[in-house]
Amino acid sequence: MALASEVHALAGEPEVLPGLRAGKVAVWWFLASETMVFGGLIASALVVRLGGEGWHEASAHLGVTLAAVNTLILLTSSLTVVQAFAAAARGDRASTSLSLALTVAGGLAFLALKAVEYTTEVRAGYTPASGIFWSFYYAMTGLHALHVAAGVVVNAVLLVAGRLRTPQRVELAGLYWHFVDVVWIFLFPLLYLS
Amino acid sequence: MTGSRAPNYVAIWVWLVALALASLAAGLLPGGRTVTVAVVFAAATVKALLVALNYMHLRFEPRLVHALALVPLLVVAVLAVALVPDLVLRR
Amino acid sequence: MGQGAVVVTTARAHGPAQSWVSRVFSTDHKTIGKQYLALGVFWAVVGGLLAGAMRWQLAWPDGRVPGLGEIGPDTYNMLVTMHGTIMVFFVAMPILLGAFGNFLIPLMIGARDMAFPRLNMLSVWTFALASLVLLASFFVPGGAASAGWTAYPPLSARPDYSGVEWGLNLWILALALEFASFLMGGVNYLTTAMALRAPGMTFFRLPMLVWQQLTAATLFLLSVGPLIAGAVMLLLDRTLGTGFYAPELGGDPLLWQHLFWFFGHPEVYVIFLPALGIVLEILPVFSRKPLFAYRWIVWATVTAGALSFVVWAHHMFQSGMDPRLAMPFSVTTILISVPFAFIVFCMIATLWGGALRFDPPMLWALGFLTMFIVGGLTGIFNGSAPADIYLRNTYFVVAHFHYTLFSAVVFGGFAGLYFWFPKMFGRLLPARLGTLHFWLTLVAFNVTFFPMHHLGLAGMVRRIANPLQYDLLVPYQWVNVVATLGALGLLGAQVAFVAAVVQALITGRRAPANPWEANTLEWAAPSPPLHLNWGARVPIVHRGPYEYSRPDQPTDWLPQHAAAAPAGR
Repeated sequence: MALASEVHALAGEPEVLPGLRAGKVAVWWFLASETMVFGGLIASALVVRLGGEGWHEASAHLGVTLAAVNTLILLTSSLTVVQAFAAAARGDRASTSLSLALTVAGGLAFLALKAVEYTTEVRAGYTPASGIFWSFYYAMTGLHALHVAAGVVVNAVLLVAGRLRTPQRVELAGLYWHFVDVVWIFLFPLLYLS
Repeated sequence: MTGSRAPNYVAIWVWLVALALASLAAGLLPGGRTVTVAVVFAAATVKALLVALNYMHLRFEPRLVHALALVPLLVVAVLAVALVPDLVLRR
Repeated sequence: MGQGAVVVTTARAHGPAQSWVSRVFSTDHKTIGKQYLALGVFWAVVGGLLAGAMRWQLAWPDGRVPGLGEIGPDTYNMLVTMHGTIMVFFVAMPILLGAFGNFLIPLMIGARDMAFPRLNMLSVWTFALASLVLLASFFVPGGAASAGWTAYPPLSARPDYSGVEWGLNLWILALALEFASFLMGGVNYLTTAMALRAPGMTFFRLPMLVWQQLTAATLFLLSVGPLIAGAVMLLLDRTLGTGFYAPELGGDPLLWQHLFWFFGHPEVYVIFLPALGIVLEILPVFSRKPLFAYRWIVWATVTAGALSFVVWAHHMFQSGMDPRLAMPFSVTTILISVPFAFIVFCMIATLWGGALRFDPPMLWALGFLTMFIVGGLTGIFNGSAPADIYLRNTYFVVAHFHYTLFSAVVFGGFAGLYFWFPKMFGRLLPARLGTLHFWLTLVAFNVTFFPMHHLGLAGMVRRIANPLQYDLLVPYQWVNVVATLGALGLLGAQVAFVAAVVQALITGRRAPANPWEANTLEWAAPSPPLHLNWGARVPIVHRGPYEYSRPDQPTDWLPQHAAAAPAGR
């Protein structure tokens, strides 16, 4: 049962094009499908916003400061995760671990601040049932937060399980993490600054 | 990504932070909400491109990977445009 | 690719030596393909029985359906919903994509397995979990989902409207898991075909089945996302009181319809293309002629795939959507018939003048071709918005999609099963039982569904439990009885297949490696192939897959991997 993987290991990871490994292509296909998920959600929100009333007014009740801090945290964690890859590629295990740890910490901080935000909003009476803006707000940030959590898990596994950590895997984890960052780059203005 | 071909990740980060702060300040611009929204989304697009091209290394990948990144966006655009008549124009 | 250089000296055979544990937890693509097949066949039985119950109710509305008693509208809605859901997501996709794709793609491209064998195992296990969740939904209070396989809100968004609470939530969950399973599979198929082709296997030497599977995988990967978004929104409407689809809360039911059909239309090609691929493999083998216009078929397939993303609103002509969308979507819908018609002509041209062999795979392939022509023609009527005003939601539409989907799932699926059964299971299926199975199915299928064209034109609408409630339908009730008798015959005809399989596995002759004298690489492996498919070395490919009846060859076939020198072996 393990033989198939061994065969691939013997031959080196299969390549789609010279220098382009199958694993990376697979992750980009996965990101393409994820783009369709978030794209569908964002397109729906955008269109409903353009056709409806009260979006701007409802959005004014969000706490921009906390979300702005979260934006900066996520941007910085994108930096640290790509630095983790660069460190792994040059064989610097200590730097890789540090960068991965910072990335994990950033992700956890993001989730913690998001939880604070949600609590504040719910306490103020703004639930998913409070109107179409709030429905979209909770749906989009909730789905995004689930993706952040998944990314935290992946990065934490690579941080802790040194045997599993190859430069290729760090790169692929980073690709996913950057995608999650890019989604937030669009969610933030759509929800908080419009 | 090794050696001289790698982007300067920290420099990119500086630009990302600058654009984020500029977006926050866009509300202070004259010209009303439309201008603010346009500036904010333009900044978001630039940030996304910076991340995609430099952190995700699209700048260095073959065209196949560019296609994988680009085609879904075009398909989403088709969906968004088709939603406009029902969800925007008839409200 | 470094594959040819890898010498594998251990090649365990499958067989009694393997424990059941290693068979269940296998990462071998051939085993995973069979697991998908088993699950798909299980659900085909369930889905078929649901249809039998529906047809019984429609023929004798005031009577009792065997096993279910008297059926009211709510129960009927559940039967309709689960029949459609099961057939589309739990029969068609696992059999056509999961089973045939998994089993054949690595063999046909000359690989030892998929690029990600453990991801492959995860995908079939996720599908098994989805199956459990869907099965569970039958037994929860309130029963299984009953808002149609299309789940339009507000019926689907408000549990107080449908009377179904957990059933619909589990339905959404089961579909989410099914989507995850096929997303994993799709990524695996595409990456495998891109990375693991044997030396000499260029893209334009790939068997057509591989092209069709890859296009289907691409369509699924790019179309399911918006529906996942929509399903999240539906679940939130049901559980958290959000208002995505509720006008009184600022939402719109049409948003769901757009998101659903944006996926729903490419989905029918996700189902159809793998079946087309199966038939495109079979026709050259049993005509002893090359596939006509191979490259053009590839371009037609890719064109149809691209067009499939811009036709979806033809499912919504009567939904109350903006009428200005009707004309553009009618145009694109008529346009998409062109590449498919072209492919049909190529199939006919492949057969033309061939030395036809009418073994069961060929019979089923011919059934696919003829029944798809009927279904495709009625598609043109439905796709024209003015005609659709009259036809929409009637049995005319039911006839259309059964002619096309049945062509794919049943005729295409059985064509593939009869063709590759020897390779998969090492036994030959008895030809006489196979021929009987085909003719019984073909006749019963047409008795069931052809009259539905007339029923629809006469005004019978879909999803009604009792046609006799409508005075205008009373004179046509005999047609419903005929269709039901056909449906019962259709179910009964499948006994012939069961008998054929039992006979093959118990007393059947062992199959040689290449019983059909076919050229593609899977026939170069033993029947069934060994673990890791190829012995010491993967094959090297020298030519395309359809070199049949070459004038310069002593035999009428020339395998892809055979050396350049003449003499067919």
